[in-house]
Amino acid sequence: MSDLNKSFIAKTALIAAAVLFSPLGVLAQSAAAPASSTQSTASVSQDRWLHVRVISTDAKGESVRVNVPLELAEKVLPAINKERLHAGKVKIDDAHVNDVDLRALAEAIRTTKEGEFVTVQSNDCDVRLAKQSKRLIIHVLDKEDSKESEVEIMVPMKVIDALFSAGKDELDLVAALHALSAQGDTELVSVKDHENTVRIWLDSKNVTD
Amino acid sequence: MVLTKAALGLGTLVLAGAYTFQEGVIRVDVDQFRSGSSHVHIWVPAAAVPMAMHFVPVSHMRHTSEHAREGLPILHAVLKELKKYSDADFVEVVDHDQHVRVSTHEGKLQIEVDAPDEKVHILCPLSTIEDVTYQLEEHAAGA
Repeated sequence: MSDLNKSFIAKTALIAAAVLFSPLGVLAQSAAAPASSTQSTASVSQDRWLHVRVISTDAKGESVRVNVPLELAEKVLPAINKERLHAGKVKIDDAHVNDVDLRALAEAIRTTKEGEFVTVQSNDCDVRLAKQSKRLIIHVLDKEDSKESEVEIMVPMKVIDALFSAGKDELDLVAALHALSAQGDTELVSVKDHENTVRIWLDSKNVTD
Repeated sequence: MVLTKAALGLGTLVLAGAYTFQEGVIRVDVDQFRSGSSHVHIWVPAAAVPMAMHFVPVSHMRHTSEHAREGLPILHAVLKELKKYSDADFVEVVDHDQHVRVSTHEGKLQIEVDAPDEKVHILCPLSTIEDVTYQLEEHAAGA
């Protein structure tokens, strides 16, 4: 092979290497970047996030913030098979918990028209159980101590329906999560006492406010 | 001839660099702030980990796989879903002067633990954890 040919091959190889390989890094980045931004946009517009926030009101300022995409929970739950949890469903013994037939109770609430079911007002506490705006609302105000504590739980009826949609002695958590993901931005649980503030809610943001 | 070899060598180097760059880096930072404290800072190309696992003795891999067998499907499901959320905060705990945060950043799992006497920061590409999970699953299946 002549020197001219060797030189030509060497230069060609160098140029080929430079042309072929140098954009790889850029490609790798550009391929990753749009995917990332697409995901980010998608997560803002479509994904439903369940948020849990616990803030201690004492001087230490302890706080816990948990953000869970409902889709992630829906996909991961069926993979957990431990004790009573199997395939995203929880087994409950004969649908009785402390001698309360949960299924019968849920069915009764589901078929009953909207309104106030229980209202208790006493010096110790106020309790309110109602079905309102297609949601089951439980409100408890504890006045026993000098420092009041307040609990409010609001569960969409569709979520309760989905929860009891499985077999006789099962609660379908995945179906409940799926039903929850179809809901708009909503508050689910709010607890306020002299030590902590707990809030559980659903929205489309992937960050806690 | 020398130039050809150099070009090929350079090409291989660039290709390996591009692959490493694409896969990212695993970063582990451990800083202790007490007497006799240690500071450990490890940067490992993420691409090296699944490759290195091929050199781990099969008996060790089987042993690890058997211990992790129960959690592997869960880990696999979590990782598959986490990859959809490349930049998100999942858990944040603040307790007085301690701070724990679990998040994803640019497709990497980020775990940060900050305490007055210790600081641990871990950054690992989700794809690397998934590769490791796959390999453990393969060994678990073969066990």
